[in-house]
Amino acid sequence: MKPLLTIFRKIWAAAPGAMTRGAVLTVVVLVAGASLLGLSGWFITAAGAAGLTAGALDFNVFGPSAGVRGLALGRTAARYGERLLTHDATLRALAALRIDLMRRQTRAGLDTLLRLRGATALNRITADVDALDGVALRLVLPLAAGLITHVLAFFLLAWLVDETVALWVALGYFVGGAVILTATARAGLQPSIRAERGAQALRRAVIDMGRARTELVVFGRMEAQRGTVLAADAETRGALDALDRAERRAGLALSSVATLLAGGALAIGGALVSRGALDPASAALGFFVALGLGEMLFGLRRGMAELGRMRDAAGRVLDDETAPGAVEEVVAEPSAPTSALTSAPTMALTPADGTALLEISGLTYRRPGAGRPVLDALSLSVAAGETVAVSGPSGSGKSTLLFLCAGLLAPESGMIALAGTPLPDLGERTLRAQLTLVPQRAALVAGTIRENLALACDDLTDAEAEAALAAVALSHVIAAKGGLDATLGEGGAGLSGGETRRLVLARALLRRPRVLLLDEPTEGLDPETARAVLDGIRAWLPQAAILTASHRAAELGWAGRVVPIA
Amino acid sequence: MRDKRTPASRSGRRRRPSGPLAAIEAPARAAQARAGRLAILGGLLWPVQAALVAWAIAGWLTHAPLAHSLVAGAGFAVAGILRALLDQWGGAILFRAADEVLASERAAAIARESLRSAGGVTGGADGGPSSAALGALVAQKLPLLVPYLTHYRPARFRVMVLPFVFIALTAWVSWVAALILVVAGPLIPLFMALVGMAAKEASARQMVEIGDMNALLMDRLAALADIRLLDATERTARDFGARAEGLRVRTMAVLRIAFLSSTVLELFSALGVAMMAVYVGFSLLGQINFGAWGHLSVGEGIFLLLLAPEYFQPLRDLAAAWHDKAAADAVAEELAAGAAAEATPVLGEGATAAPLPGPLSLRVEGAAVRRGSGWVRLPNFTLARGEALALTGPSGAGKSTALAAIAGLARAEVGEITVAGAPLTDANADAWRARLAWVGQAPHFLDAALAENLDLRATGADPAPALAAARAEGVVAGLPGGLAARLGETGGGISGGEARRLTLARALMAAPDLLLADEPTADLDAETALAVIAALMALKARGTALIVATHDEGLIAAMDRAVAVPARGPARAAEDTEAGSQAETSAETEA
Repeated sequence: MKPLLTIFRKIWAAAPGAMTRGAVLTVVVLVAGASLLGLSGWFITAAGAAGLTAGALDFNVFGPSAGVRGLALGRTAARYGERLLTHDATLRALAALRIDLMRRQTRAGLDTLLRLRGATALNRITADVDALDGVALRLVLPLAAGLITHVLAFFLLAWLVDETVALWVALGYFVGGAVILTATARAGLQPSIRAERGAQALRRAVIDMGRARTELVVFGRMEAQRGTVLAADAETRGALDALDRAERRAGLALSSVATLLAGGALAIGGALVSRGALDPASAALGFFVALGLGEMLFGLRRGMAELGRMRDAAGRVLDDETAPGAVEEVVAEPSAPTSALTSAPTMALTPADGTALLEISGLTYRRPGAGRPVLDALSLSVAAGETVAVSGPSGSGKSTLLFLCAGLLAPESGMIALAGTPLPDLGERTLRAQLTLVPQRAALVAGTIRENLALACDDLTDAEAEAALAAVALSHVIAAKGGLDATLGEGGAGLSGGETRRLVLARALLRRPRVLLLDEPTEGLDPETARAVLDGIRAWLPQAAILTASHRAAELGWAGRVVPIA
Repeated sequence: MRDKRTPASRSGRRRRPSGPLAAIEAPARAAQARAGRLAILGGLLWPVQAALVAWAIAGWLTHAPLAHSLVAGAGFAVAGILRALLDQWGGAILFRAADEVLASERAAAIARESLRSAGGVTGGADGGPSSAALGALVAQKLPLLVPYLTHYRPARFRVMVLPFVFIALTAWVSWVAALILVVAGPLIPLFMALVGMAAKEASARQMVEIGDMNALLMDRLAALADIRLLDATERTARDFGARAEGLRVRTMAVLRIAFLSSTVLELFSALGVAMMAVYVGFSLLGQINFGAWGHLSVGEGIFLLLLAPEYFQPLRDLAAAWHDKAAADAVAEELAAGAAAEATPVLGEGATAAPLPGPLSLRVEGAAVRRGSGWVRLPNFTLARGEALALTGPSGAGKSTALAAIAGLARAEVGEITVAGAPLTDANADAWRARLAWVGQAPHFLDAALAENLDLRATGADPAPALAAARAEGVVAGLPGGLAARLGETGGGISGGEARRLTLARALMAAPDLLLADEPTADLDAETALAVIAALMALKARGTALIVATHDEGLIAAMDRAVAVPARGPARAAEDTEAGSQAETSAETEA
C-alpha cells in the first residue's frame, strides 16, 4: 500500500487547495443525497399523518419543502464542483509526474540511454501514469468520504430516529461494505495486474511489429509476430473478463446488501411504530436514509477492483524515481560511473594563450569487466583550427575516446582538459555549450526538418538553418522534399542513410562548438559529397578544434594530422 | 484475415448504417437487445418495490399489525435482489459481446497494419500511423469501445420503455405528478443531443492528442542520447511538457462537457423529484386539491416519490453513455481512416512458407513503384544462382525501394518482376521470401534475446558460424549476457558497425538463395568492410545470389555487375523501353 500512499500524497500536494475543497464537496454530495431522500420521505409521511389527524394547519410546510429544494440544488452544485476540482487537480498532478519521469529518464547514464527500449519507457510515462488517475478519484477520496458520511449518518439516525435503526443501517453498510469491497480488491488484484501488464506487452509487441515490419516480413516472421500480438491481446482480455466478473459480483453483492438493509430498516421501523416507540414519519426517514446511503458504495467498486493495477503501476513509477537507469528495460551492465560530470553551473572558458583547446594526457580506459584496457595512457592535443583524425580498426577504442572527451564515460586514469580546464571541473551545460559530439548512430526525430535542426538551439532562424544545410551539401535535397517544413517520419524516416548523416551534421554545426567530435562523419556518403561536406564543416567552424574517428580516405585526407591508435 | 470487416459492414447496411461505429457494433446488436430486455425487466421490478414500501408506510399510519411491515420489508428485499441478479446477468451478456467486438477489431487492425508496405524503410510506413501511435490505438483506444457497447445501447433500450411505464403508473395516481415528469423528462434528450455534438468533437481532439503525445514521446525517448549531447534536454522536456499539458487540457475539455451535461441532468432530475415531493406533501396536507383522482393518500404519495428518481435514471444512464458514445465514435473514425489509408500492402502475408521451388532466377522488366507523387523506377536486369549485382545510384534515387520491390515489400504497379520463373504475386511472395535474407540500413531489434533476434526464422541452428562469418563473435562476447542480451530497439548499446555485423549474421543464418543488402558496408572501417565483403563472397561461392545497394567502390568492384537505379520520373518512362533501357545498359559494367 505504501506506493499508493506516496502517489496519493504527490497528487494531493500538486494542488492541496483544490483537493481539500474537492474532498469536502465529496462529503457534501453524499450527505445531501441521503438527506434529500430522507427529508422527502419524512415530509410526505409527516404531511400525510398531519392530513389524517387534521393537524394540517399547524404543520410547517415551508421549512421542509425549502429544505428539499435546497438539498436538490446544493447536491447538484456540489457534485459539479467536486468533480471539476478533483479531476483537474489529479490531471495536473499526472501531467507533472509524466514530465518528471521524462526528465529523470534523460539524466540517466549514456549507457542506459543507448540501451533504452523506447516502448517500455513509453509505457511507464503513459500507461502507468494513466493507471494512477484513480488513486485519488476512485479510491482514497470516495473511501474517506464514505466513512465520514456513514459516521454522520449513524449519529443523525440515532438522534432523529432510533439507535436500533441507526445501528442496523450504519453497521450493516460498514460491515457489508468492508467485506464485499475487500473481497473485490482481493479478487481483482491479480486480474487487474495481469490486464495492465498484458496491455503494456500488447503495446510493446505492436510497436515492435510496426518498427521491424521489413525484417519481420522478409524473414517470414510477421505471422508469428501477429501471433505474439494476439496472444498479448487474449491475455489482456482474459484478465479483463476476470476483472469484470469480480466487479459484477461485487455489484450484485452490494445491491443485495443495500436492498436488505433498506428492507430491514422498513421492517424495524414498522416494528418500532407498531410498539408505539417511534412515529411513522421518523421511521420513514430511517428507511429513506438507508436507501440513499447505498449509492456511495457503488462508486468504490471500480476503485477496489483496480487496486492491483494501481499498486503495480505506482510501484513501477516510483521505482524509476529511486533508481534511474536500474529499471527492467535496461540491460544490466556492471555499473561503472556513467557520467564524468558534476552538475556545476555554466561558466565561461578562456584558455591561457598557447593552451590546446582539447588536451588529452595519459588517458586509460578499461571497458567494464575487461582485462586489457582499450585505451592505454593515450596523450593527444588538438589546437584551435586544427583537424585531427584518430584511426584504427573497429573496436580499437576510437568511439570510446570520443565518448570520454564528451564526458559520457569516466576514464580510469589520465586527464582530459577543455581549454585548460579538466572535464570533471566543468558543469554539464558548460561542456555542452563548448563541445559537440556527433556519434555514429545519431538519431533524428519525427517532425519537420526545422524541428530537427531546432533541437540544437533555441530561436533558430530560417536563414541560419538554410546556411547549415548548405554547409553539409543538403540544400538541394531538402528543397526537393519541400524545404524546412518537409516532415520526416518516425526516427527521421524519409531520408536515406547519407541524407540522415548530413542532417545530423548540420544539426551539430548549429551548436557552433569550439570543439567538435565527429565519429565517422561521412559514412554513407559518396566520395565527392563527403569531400564537400567536410570542407563545409571546416568553413563553418574555422577556429574549432575538430577530432574525428575515421577510417575512410576522404576523412583521413581532410585531417591535418592522423593519429593511429592500436 | 483482411476481409474480417466485410460481414460487419454488410449487416450494417441492412440496419440503416450511421457511420463506422454502427458497422463495428453490428455483431453485438443481438446480445445488446437481449441484455436490454433483461434490464427492462429489472427496471419493472422497481414499481413493485415502491408499492411495497408505500403499502408499509401507509400501514404505519393506520396502525397495521407488525406482520404487515415484515412482509413489506421481505418483499422489498427479495424484489431488490432479483433486480440485482437480472442486472448481473445482462452485464455478463454485454461484456461477452463487447469483448468479441474488441477482439475482432484488434485482429483486423493488426492484420492490416502488419502488412502495410514500409518500402524497405524501417519505421513509419507510407501513410500509416507511427508505430507508437499504432500501439496507442490498439492498446489504449480500442478498449474505449467496450464502455460504449456495454452502456450506451442497453441504456437506449431502457429509455424507450421504462420512462413511459413510469409516466403511465404516475398518471394512474395523479395527472399533475405525471405532468411534472413529462415536462422535466424530454428536456434531457434534447439537451443531450446538443451536448453530444460538442462531446464528440472534444473526444476526437483528445484521441488525436493521445496519439500525438505517444508518437512524440516514443521518438524523443529513442533519441535521448542525442538530445543530451545537444544540450536539448530542457527544450525537449519543455516540448513534452507542452504535449502533456495539452493532453490534460483536452481531457479536461471532454470531462467538463461530461460534468456539465450530467449536472444539468441531475438538476432536472433533482428538481423533478423535489417538485414531486412538494406537490405530494401539499396535496396530503390538503393545500393542493387538484391533480389526483380523488384525494391523494399517503401510500400513493410515497409511491409517487419513489417512482420519480427511477423515471429519470434511464435518461441519466443514457446521458452518461453519450460520452462513451462520443469516445467510441472518435475511435471508430480513426479505425475507418486507417482502413481507408490501406494504399498498398506488402505482397503476401509475411508468414513462414515452404520455399518457392525451382532454380533461382530473377528478372526485372520495366518495373516502377509509386512513392508519394512520383515513381521509383527499377533498372531492368536478370539474375541467376550465385550471381552478384550492385545497385548503384545517387543518394535518394530509390535503391532501398528497388530492393523492397524485389522482396515483395513494395508493389511494382507497372512492369514485371519474375521470380523463379513466375511473376511475383501475393500468392507466391511468402514462398519467394523464404529463399531471401535481408540486411537493412537501419537495423531493428525485437524486444527479445539477441539469440532470437539472430534466428528470425526460428531454425534453432547454432549462430556461431554465422557470427564468425560476419566477424560478429566479438560483438556478442562484449555484450552482458551474450546471446541472452536484449538490445535497444535500434541496436542501442552497440556501435553502428557492430549492429551491421549482427544483422549480417542474421542474414547469413537464414542460409538464403538470394541476399538483399542495403549499404552493407556502411558504418564499417576498411578492414571490417573487407571482412564483410569476404563473407558475402563466401556466401556467393556457396551459390547464394547477391543484390547490394551501395556506393562503396570496393563493394561494387567485388560484385559481378553494377546497374544504376534510373532517376525518379513518371512510370511511363519506366515501361517505355527505348530511352530507359538504353541508359541502363550503358550503366551496366562488367566487373
